[in-house]
Amino acid sequence: MPLLELQGVIKNYMKGEQIIPALRGVDLSIEKGDFLSIVGPSGSGKSTLLNIIGCIDTPTEGKVLYNGDDLTILSDKEKTFYRKENISFIFQSFNLIPVLTVRENVELPLIIEKKFSKTEIFEKVTKIIEIVGLEDMAERFPRELSGGQEQRVAIARALVKNPLVVLADEPTANLDSEMSEDIISVMQKMNEEIHTTFIFSTHDPLVQKHAKRVIILRDGMIASDERKNHGNAQ
Amino acid sequence: METLSKIAWRNVRRNKRRTFLSALVISVGLSIYIMMNSVMTGMDRANIDSLIELSTSSIKISTKQYAEDKESLPLKYGIPNPDEVIAYIQDQEHVVGATPRTHFLGQLSNWEDTMPIIGQVVDIEKDRKVFNLDKYIIGEYFTGTEENEIMLGKDLADEMGVGAGEYITLYALTKYESRNADEFYIVGLLNTTDPSINLNTALISYQTANNFLDLENLVTEIDVAVDRRVNYSQFTKDVNELAQKIELEFPALQVITFEELASAFLGITEQKKAFGSIIMLIILAIAAVGIFNSVLMSVYERIREIGVLRAQGLKRKEIVTLFIWEGFFIGFLGSVMGVVLGCGANLYLVIKGIPLDKFVGFQNSGIPYWGTLYGEWNVGTIIFAFCFGLIVALAASYLPSRIASKMEVTKALRFV
Repeated sequence: MPLLELQGVIKNYMKGEQIIPALRGVDLSIEKGDFLSIVGPSGSGKSTLLNIIGCIDTPTEGKVLYNGDDLTILSDKEKTFYRKENISFIFQSFNLIPVLTVRENVELPLIIEKKFSKTEIFEKVTKIIEIVGLEDMAERFPRELSGGQEQRVAIARALVKNPLVVLADEPTANLDSEMSEDIISVMQKMNEEIHTTFIFSTHDPLVQKHAKRVIILRDGMIASDERKNHGNAQ
Repeated sequence: METLSKIAWRNVRRNKRRTFLSALVISVGLSIYIMMNSVMTGMDRANIDSLIELSTSSIKISTKQYAEDKESLPLKYGIPNPDEVIAYIQDQEHVVGATPRTHFLGQLSNWEDTMPIIGQVVDIEKDRKVFNLDKYIIGEYFTGTEENEIMLGKDLADEMGVGAGEYITLYALTKYESRNADEFYIVGLLNTTDPSINLNTALISYQTANNFLDLENLVTEIDVAVDRRVNYSQFTKDVNELAQKIELEFPALQVITFEELASAFLGITEQKKAFGSIIMLIILAIAAVGIFNSVLMSVYERIREIGVLRAQGLKRKEIVTLFIWEGFFIGFLGSVMGVVLGCGANLYLVIKGIPLDKFVGFQNSGIPYWGTLYGEWNVGTIIFAFCFGLIVALAASYLPSRIASKMEVTKALRFV
């Protein structure tokens, strides 16, 4: 059974009286451990697809199955629980909480989960901060970091709770190529070591290069779905 | 909870100017309320003191017949054995003094105009221990050397065009209801805080009245002063206990406390308190708008942040809690500032007071005090103000918090 399955997902937005279609019947299966890149021009529906998988948006029609369970029929409370337990987001503009330090920002998902003791949280956060190479910056605030460092914090925040799925919306858009390479390698490492599923929405060829699977969206439909034999296809 | 309060506190600190302004509005509201309550309590105390010192005393005793017919101030219901009653009262605890008084109706004449007066016959020595007239006298108190001495209210004297050291004619019915008139030497004038004394009261001594009114030491009223160096509630308790004792000892007499005599005034005091509360409500409503605005601005500034927190699995009610915390911190700061500001200003009012006589025209305003009006500490009011400030802040932050919690995650994340 696939980890995630989208069946005939349609998403329309209303602009006054006018219906704007964002997704026009998407069928997609995502396996555990996928390192998947969704590409396509602006307005092709990439972000909408990510939002629907992340349960922060609801399709107009169709089903989204997670381990066989239909997510579209969940209540707001149940969706919040689903996100808390399974999903992490990485945003293009990092979206760190400006009044929290690096450590506190990374701690946040674990605190929201309410599953771990303070000591466990400290250990997990210390470890992930080391993985993203920010151990010297742990007590700094986001305003004291560079864009690349901020995105590393965002990645650490997304990965600290060992989610099954990480949804990354243009994670490298605001980074230079060296920093992007760096960030991707961190995510690849997580994917290989603990089989975290990564789903990217991106324009960045670098991300596409590293992806195991590339889906091209065009006008709200899947135009191609290419699976590479090796994670690092050249 | 700890993390939510931490985020809220840091946001409150980050927007220092906005937080300060919102807290300032609350603090001004609370400090005005604390000061207003202090001044009003001080006014009440001064008013009650004034009433007791000038007209009601702590306890009034008369015969029951006199009490029923007191509007006409009859000279026929004298207290039997007044010296025995006074001697008993003076032996009791907390009693400062007891004095006889006899009221009568009369008219003053300057040969051109006549004016009706309420006459009061006083015991020159004992009266000073019960009523505090000395500080209001222009001229002198009774000397006892002149045969016909009289003291007049200042406004009454002004109306009649006479002053201390001059003579005036007094008409009255004697105890035997025969008319009498005589010329009196005005020994002093009374310029008190009670307009009715100033305008229509004339005082003569028992020595004079025995001749002029054929009084034969008839006493229609005994006034008692109780020690007022204790707080108001203790004073009231002492007065009521003493009144009960006197009633038990002299069941034929009517014993009335100042509270019963001044019930109308004390009713006004309650109205003033209600008025003060309305003023505070208005001020705090303005403060509530300030906090509402402040938290709402905070919500709109942090829409993306709300989206991120919701995407990470924070529940709607936790978003509400986050912004309620912000309201709480602003309210707490405002309440602390308000109490500090209010207590600081009140300290000045309690120690230095408000010099009412320096305000031009105040003496003629009809407000029955002059001199310095002092504030009073009221711990209950300060605690109430603090809690009320906090509650208003929490209530005002609830609606913006709900707005924040209702936001759609996708819209919040897209918000620029």
